[in-house]
Amino acid sequence: MSFFESVGRSAIHQVEYVGALAVQFWRGLKFAIRVNPFGARRLRWKRMTLQMAEIGVRSLPVVCLVSGATGMIMALQSGAELRKFGAMEAVVNLVGTSMTRELGPLIAAIVVIGRSGSAISAEVATMVVTEEVDALRAMAVDPIDFVLAPKYLAMLAMLPCLTVAGVFSGILAGGVFTYFALDLTLLMYLRRTAEILLLRDIVSGLVKALVFGSIIVHVGCLEGFRVTGGPEGVGRSTTGAVVKSIFLVIGADLVCTAFFYFFWR
Amino acid sequence: MSEMPRTTAESFRPHVAAASPLVRVRGLRVCYGDHEVLGGIDLDVYRGETMVILGPSGCGKSTLLRHLEGLAWPVAGSITIAGVEIAKASRRELARVRRLMGVSFQSAAMFNSMTVGENVALPLREHTDLADSTIRLMTRMKLQQVGLSGVEDLYPAQLSGGMRKRASLARALALDPEILLFDEPSAGLDPIIAAGIDQLILRLKEAFRMTMIVVTHEMQSAFLIADRMCMLDQGSILAVGSVAEIRAHPHPRVRQFVRRIPDGFDEGSTGYITGFEG
Repeated sequence: MSFFESVGRSAIHQVEYVGALAVQFWRGLKFAIRVNPFGARRLRWKRMTLQMAEIGVRSLPVVCLVSGATGMIMALQSGAELRKFGAMEAVVNLVGTSMTRELGPLIAAIVVIGRSGSAISAEVATMVVTEEVDALRAMAVDPIDFVLAPKYLAMLAMLPCLTVAGVFSGILAGGVFTYFALDLTLLMYLRRTAEILLLRDIVSGLVKALVFGSIIVHVGCLEGFRVTGGPEGVGRSTTGAVVKSIFLVIGADLVCTAFFYFFWR
Repeated sequence: MSEMPRTTAESFRPHVAAASPLVRVRGLRVCYGDHEVLGGIDLDVYRGETMVILGPSGCGKSTLLRHLEGLAWPVAGSITIAGVEIAKASRRELARVRRLMGVSFQSAAMFNSMTVGENVALPLREHTDLADSTIRLMTRMKLQQVGLSGVEDLYPAQLSGGMRKRASLARALALDPEILLFDEPSAGLDPIIAAGIDQLILRLKEAFRMTMIVVTHEMQSAFLIADRMCMLDQGSILAVGSVAEIRAHPHPRVRQFVRRIPDGFDEGSTGYITGFEG
């Protein structure tokens, strides 16, 4: 195969992948809004609550720990530079805004990719390999409805919550630094953080969390649904889900940041 | 081989046959890449009959079954089930046809994250508005029908291979389907359990007069449960007929398969078993 042929094939493959992701996203959204605790769809509600515990509750300590450490690192690093200009107070602004707008959603997403994105892909891929997905289709049950929709809804509910928890942890960790470096009490630090944060910062962080959550679930499920081969295929799909999710989350972060920069100053 | 006379589905219509077939396959051609798996086959299955699809490994039996289930799409040809052409059906029509069918998979395909009871109840929960208590009762009944009791709260991993197959069959029966499809029902089971599965199929056949399509290469089982048999080889149908007709079929490949003669040995030769004699 010539170089151009392989580039062409790869481009077609990528376009096809994005198309499949878009179709799955649309169908997933349609099914997700119909999940409710009543009637025939109550089973999905039950599966959704289980997923909420799996995605949200079990990821909470890691998200808080990683976000807290990042908040502290950022305060230490920026403090070291800002001290030279006598602008140590700006540490509060820096930690508050960057955690809320950028690092909070990103860290929560990356932790969830590692914990849940890979697990979603492995679960779906195993279901494909063991013919469970075929069994669903043979029973006239849409796998996107039964498998993806509850996970999607759980992710949309839990990733913003994890993001909020991560942002708080990061900001609090920054507060520990300012307490020792600036003699600023935690209460004053929080009050100042609340003053400098704008509605735009909070909304952009939460919108990013929703976008990242969608990417994690859809990429995880698509990789799982497209698995080929046996157990080694499950391993490949899990790796693919993690790598593609991280890549797409960072790409989406760039797009969202640019959007809020240009359209909501 | 190709010079041998081929029997047609029409020439062997059994006494159970209704006027038009419930499942009609016409010119079904399936390819995986450049490899042709099914080369334009025709097959009719009539209401109330048990059609056993036989053939050596890799001949396209399971592929045919996947197409009948609407899990894969052919390159050419058509499959019509209960008057609906599968490849051209809308999502809603396909769902309706699928609700007419129960499928027992080779691997049982039980949902490992759900209990046996939840597995069997799943089609009822998905397609009916029955109350929980009614669904629980029906689940118990379906499990009893396949000879399983008191396993509702166990997980599939806690069951033996034969029990998993029975549980899978109970799930396939949940919506009282018109057509039951079996993919290798006794594969991987010891002869006693396999015979139990055969008896179960016979009981269902007798009790409900269901239309059954069974894919297998277990000859003993096939002769026991079949009304008619269809032999596939290298992607085409070699023979269709009743049990007696298949037993007496003149096609050498059919005779070889029925008599379990390895490739390279003549009929009547026992040379291939001498190595195993004391």
